[in-house]
Amino acid sequence: MSLLDIKNVKKEYRKGDKSVIALRGVDITIEKGEFMAIVGPSGSGKSTLLNIVGCLDAPTSGSVLYNGRELFGMTEQQLSNYRRDNIAFIFQSYNLIPVLTVRENVELPLVIERKFSKQEMAKKALAVIESVGLGAMADRLPRELSGGQEQRVAIARALVKDPLVVLADEPTANLDSATAEEVISIMQTMNAERSTTFVFSTHDSRMERHARRIVTLRDGAIEKDERRR
Amino acid sequence: MGMILKIALRNIGRHKRRTVLSAVTIAAGLVVFIYMDSALTGVDRMSVDNLITLSAGALKIQTLAYDKEKESFPLAYTLDSAMAPLLAALGKDKRVAHVTKRTQFLGQLSNYEETVPVIGTVVDPAADSLVFGLKPCLTGSYFDTGATRELIIGGQLARDLGVGVGDNITLYALTKYDSRNADVFRIAGVLSTADPAINRSGVFMTFAAANDFLDLENSATELDVAMPRGASLPQFSRTVRAVQKDIQRDFPSLRVNTFLDIGAGVMEITRAKRASGFIVMGIILIIAVVGIFNTVFMSVYERIREIGVLRAHGMKPSDISLMFVLEGMFTGLLGGVFGAAAGALVNLQLVTKGIPLEKIAGSMATASYGIAGNVYGEWNLPAMSAVFILGVAVATLAGVIPARRASKIQVTEALRFN
Repeated sequence: MSLLDIKNVKKEYRKGDKSVIALRGVDITIEKGEFMAIVGPSGSGKSTLLNIVGCLDAPTSGSVLYNGRELFGMTEQQLSNYRRDNIAFIFQSYNLIPVLTVRENVELPLVIERKFSKQEMAKKALAVIESVGLGAMADRLPRELSGGQEQRVAIARALVKDPLVVLADEPTANLDSATAEEVISIMQTMNAERSTTFVFSTHDSRMERHARRIVTLRDGAIEKDERRR
Repeated sequence: MGMILKIALRNIGRHKRRTVLSAVTIAAGLVVFIYMDSALTGVDRMSVDNLITLSAGALKIQTLAYDKEKESFPLAYTLDSAMAPLLAALGKDKRVAHVTKRTQFLGQLSNYEETVPVIGTVVDPAADSLVFGLKPCLTGSYFDTGATRELIIGGQLARDLGVGVGDNITLYALTKYDSRNADVFRIAGVLSTADPAINRSGVFMTFAAANDFLDLENSATELDVAMPRGASLPQFSRTVRAVQKDIQRDFPSLRVNTFLDIGAGVMEITRAKRASGFIVMGIILIIAVVGIFNTVFMSVYERIREIGVLRAHGMKPSDISLMFVLEGMFTGLLGGVFGAAAGALVNLQLVTKGIPLEKIAGSMATASYGIAGNVYGEWNLPAMSAVFILGVAVATLAGVIPARRASKIQVTEALRFN
């Protein structure tokens, strides 16, 4: 069953008189539970596509359907709510909130969601922190963690609200090989155990190797879309 | 809200030096204001006290005719016919503490070499010292009720004429019947008050002396009323105004002036001083606003990526904005609490020890305010609270513009920001 239908999405950025075409009519259908990599050289439109799928940016034309409903016909508030309830992000440079502890960082999406009691939030956060192997570090601040640990916290933060889709922009780019393998492994486990859909952009061949579907972008268009078993 | 509050509070501690600098600016504003307000309130109280105790009383009652020509101190318009019912009415009024009669006249004082114009005041020594506070300012002796050949004169006047206690001096004046008279009096005492008019040209004599010298026949041109001063000045003023209204209603042929009417000039200076205090406070608050505006703006700039992350997770722009507004508010609170505490400490010194303004600025400067000696501060809790609230409010408002800017940042731009 398709979760997200991206139909003929185009994106053009304007800077004064100049215009840059980032996407030139992209069509992709993302199924529930996919573990999908978007690859391609720098400037091929990977991040733009992820931003549009995550409703952080609007396409110049085309449509993105979620369960058959057009996302970019929604108001700003509805989009914000959709993002809050269904999408989670993992960033290349982790982007943890430096003044919050590991537990508080992981709780953050739940706090924004306002669906759970304080106790429920703490329980959910600790469970997911345990699952990424950082149970002993729940009360530490980000500055006390290594890069790999920070990215694991970012994964925990993304997964804590059981999102339908996790969008990750170059999640292993700043990590050494061993740590990158750990992070990929955690993402795969979550994908397998929770059927969480992962869509990630990457230059990293290690990540590509683990992806079950690889979409290759070039100059804003899909060059290749291959599925693996 | 809890998480927003937590992030805001912790971010204040994240850039300690910057936060402390902004808070100190606000605190400095508060300290300066509290100190200035205390000193000015103290000066006001002392000026008003001196006005009441040295020349005006709480109320001064004269005839309408006298009031119209009061600049010439006419002896013809006396209170004689109204005196008995007036004294009876004031005697019944529980708001009135003491009453004394006075008569003022114009004269000249001479040491045979020099002649100086003076304003004479005829007093009832026993009753007068219950309404006015001349005695504590006196060198020499206060006169007895029956004293007929004695004067008390202002200190500057004594210096100008080169005379002192025990010396004889000649006083010239027109009697009640407009005939010129001159007589020699012994100087019983010299007054050194905070009222420059008394010091420069004040001459006091008893009714016994004036009956001989001015043919006064115990006539008084004014009745001065003292009222208890326990309450604050605004409350005291209201009570005095109420008594004024009652007497004026019952005695329409008389003119009742309060110390507020008589000291309108002093009150005008008081208002001007207060305005200058607020201008200083305003300047300091503007500096604080710029400081906090800058602090919050820097904070927004440094945390653009964080803003992007929070927005990406679905945090509403209004919550992002609230977070930065709270940071401004907490900085203001920090400065406010610190400023109020430091201000209270500094003020304690001003209230208990005072500042020797006369020594610093000279007697001419203090005399223009109608005061002398040390200036003592006053605790003005409503003003302190108001300025504390103002400081916090200003700090909060200073954070609003950068906070709104933060809430409008595009998520994708924020996440790309390096």
